[in-house]
Formats: sequence, C-alpha cells, structure tokens
Amino acid sequence: MSGLPPYVQWIWACSILAQLIVLVLLFLKGNFRKLPFFTAYVALNICQAGFVVILYSIWGTDSHTSFTLAWYSECVTLLAQALATTEILEITLRPYKGIWGLGWRTLAVTSAIVVTLSVLATRDNWAFAQWFELNRGYHLTFATALIVFLLLVRYYSIPVAATYKMILGGFCLYSCTEILINTILQALLRKGFAVHQALWQSVTMVSFVLVQTIWMAAVRRPLPVEDQQAALYSDSEYQRLAPEINEQLRQLNEKLLRLWKLEARPR
Amino acid sequence: MNLSLFLLAGFAVLLLILLIGVLREPQRDGKLENDLGFPEEAGRSHATYLRQVQQAMAAADFEFLAARGSRGLSQRTRKERRRIALAYLCCLRSDFLKLWRLARVISTMSPKVGVAQEFARLRLGLIFSLRYEMIRIKFLFGFAPLPELGTLSGVVSKLAGRLETAMKELGERAALAASLASTPDGRRLESR
Repeated sequence: MSGLPPYVQWIWACSILAQLIVLVLLFLKGNFRKLPFFTAYVALNICQAGFVVILYSIWGTDSHTSFTLAWYSECVTLLAQALATTEILEITLRPYKGIWGLGWRTLAVTSAIVVTLSVLATRDNWAFAQWFELNRGYHLTFATALIVFLLLVRYYSIPVAATYKMILGGFCLYSCTEILINTILQALLRKGFAVHQALWQSVTMVSFVLVQTIWMAAVRRPLPVEDQQAALYSDSEYQRLAPEINEQLRQLNEKLLRLWKLEARPR
Repeated sequence: MNLSLFLLAGFAVLLLILLIGVLREPQRDGKLENDLGFPEEAGRSHATYLRQVQQAMAAADFEFLAARGSRGLSQRTRKERRRIALAYLCCLRSDFLKLWRLARVISTMSPKVGVAQEFARLRLGLIFSLRYEMIRIKFLFGFAPLPELGTLSGVVSKLAGRLETAMKELGERAALAASLASTPDGRRLESR
C-alpha cells in the first residue's frame, strides 16, 4: 500500500467505510432478504478492497501480479453488479410479464450491438490496454442496456419505487463516469498511464463513494413491500375497462373505416 | 483525442443526460384518466369530421366566393377555415394519442407482448408524427393538403383496428381465465 499516495489511501478508506455503511443498513433494515444479489455485490466489493490491499502489501502497487489479480477480482464484482441489477429489474417488472419478456429481448439486442461497436472502436488499443478496454466495454454495454430498459419502463408508465430508482441510477452513474474517466485519461495520459495510476484510482473511487452515498440514502429505510394486490387490482380494473374501451375502439374504427372508403372512392 | 475516444466520451455524456431524463418523475397524465373515465364519450372521435373539413377547404368554395363576393371575403373565409382545419388536425392528433396510450396500457397488462407488434406501433407513431407535422406546416403556409389528411386518418384507423384485435385476444384470455377459476381444481381442463 506504501506505493500509493496518502490521499488515495484516504479516499480508499472512505470508500470502504461507505460500503460498510451500505451493507450494515441493508442488514439492519432487513433489505438483504429482498435484495440478496445487491447485498452480495456490496459484500463482494468490500472483500475485493481487502483482497487488493493484501495484493499491494505483498507484491506492491507496480507489480504485474497485483495488477492482473486485481483485475480478475474486478471481473467477479462486475458480474455481481450485473446480477444485482437484473434482480432489481426483475422485481420491478415481475407483475408485467409481457414487458419483462420484451425487455430482456431488447436488452440482448442492444448489448450485442454495443459490444460489437465497442470492440470495433477499441481494437487498436487492445494490445497495450486490454483490461481498461474490457472494463470500459463492460460499463458501456451495462449503462446502455440499463438506460434502454429504463426508457422502456418509462414508455409503458410502469411505476418504479424510488429506492430501486436510486440503486439503478447509482449503477448507471458509476458506469457512465467509468467510461468518461477511462476515455479522458486514456486520451490525455496516453504515454504515461502507469505513472498516473494514482490519479485514475482516486477519480474512480471518488465517483464510487458518490454512488455509495446515493445507495446509503436509498437503503436507509426498509424497501417497499411488493404490492401483489396492485397487479390483481389492475387486472380486475382492466377486465372492467376492456369491454368499454373495446366498444369505443370498435366504433371509432368503423367510422374511420367508412371515412377511409369515402376517401379512396374516385371523385 | 482520436475520433473513437471522442465518440466514446460523447456517448457517455449522452447516457448521463438520458439517465437524468429517465429518472425524472414523469408528469401525471390526467388526460388518459379522463379518456378512460368517460365511456359516454364513445364514438365522439374527431376523425369523423373529415368530410366537413374537406368540404370547408374545397377550392370550389373559395372560387365561388372570389367570383360572387369580394377577394377580401374569400381570403377571410380561407383564413378562418384554415384555422378550423388546424384545430381539426390537432384533435385528430389527440385521438391518436388517446389510442396510443390505450395500446400501451393493453401491452402493460398483457402477459405476452409481441416485439413485432410493438415496433409496428412505434413505426405507426413515428409516421403519424411526421405526417402530422408536414400537414400542419403546409396548412400554416396556406396550402390545403387534403389527400395527406386522408392518409393521416388512415393511420388512426389502422391503429384502432390493431388495438381492437389485441383487445379481443385479451378478452378471450380473460374469459378463459375466468372459466378456469370457476371450474373446481380446473378438472375439466385437465380431463381434456
């Protein structure tokens, strides 16, 4: 750890503290039951921080072994991030089976497009910055997919609890800042990226602390109980309204069809 | 900064802007509630006044007025009728939006949503918006694009037809669910 400047170590400590607070809040408020994957993600992040501290203590910050192992541990947390996000999306869309089906298909297509585009855009840098490219590619795909999904949810006017919005917003914000940080630093410090590792670490961690603060606010209260009745109520309401709307549509369609025929008639 | 890095940074900024937009609290749509809450309004579609609007914008009327009355009278009448046509166009749009929202409600409540159908509706919406704006601009500049107006009504009609089919399917599904619920343990269905 001695290889890192004191200010980076302080930010690191703040980040771990923030993650611990989020984890404690998740357990204290009983939210871990509802969000097991998100809880696991937060716990894994803390474990990863501990793991990286050990790596740096043994091999130092400039060691290739530390670098590679730290990135491998990042892969695990990124996978956990994807699972935690899917968990929240699934909770949000559970009563809307049709939209969920449409949503994951849209996500698959969007992700495939973004992965292809990011591979094409970064293939020149692959040889000397593969981990950064992988990380950025992942965050790019993740953020795009999440935004597309949130757009879909908004388009269909599906209500999303404020807590879930904050958690998803935090994930997306972190991914967007990661893309920006990686891209800007890569462009500015192209020749001496290793020298500026401390700068990269501190900027990344500051954005992560910001996200943790949002999550603290999100999980400080117990999560809303899923309103299973709401879906049933909507269904019964729908069954009550359906014949009425159907009748309106039928009448409108008939009238418009008549108009259309009049239009098509030669004058 | 090379082009690909510039595009990546721009894309990240775009994603951040979209994130802010998407997380903002949506405005409550009172219009839809009104639309669904007044079934007695059935059949009062604005699209039904197309013939009258077509008649109002017919060139023969203005020619007659210019020949028999004064040029000023003809111009004033044209201006007033254009205003009526614009109001009609606006109402036609509100009809479309009403159906559009209804379609979204149906999709949300449906246990299965077809990607092709949803994209087709999105395409319909885009076509409608484009045509609407084109016709509106034409009206504002003093032309009377009646064939386009007919096509626009057609878009509304097409969407209404699709919605009707969707509603029918959903109604059948609801009836099936109701009959299942009324059968003790669903035995009748199992014995099939």
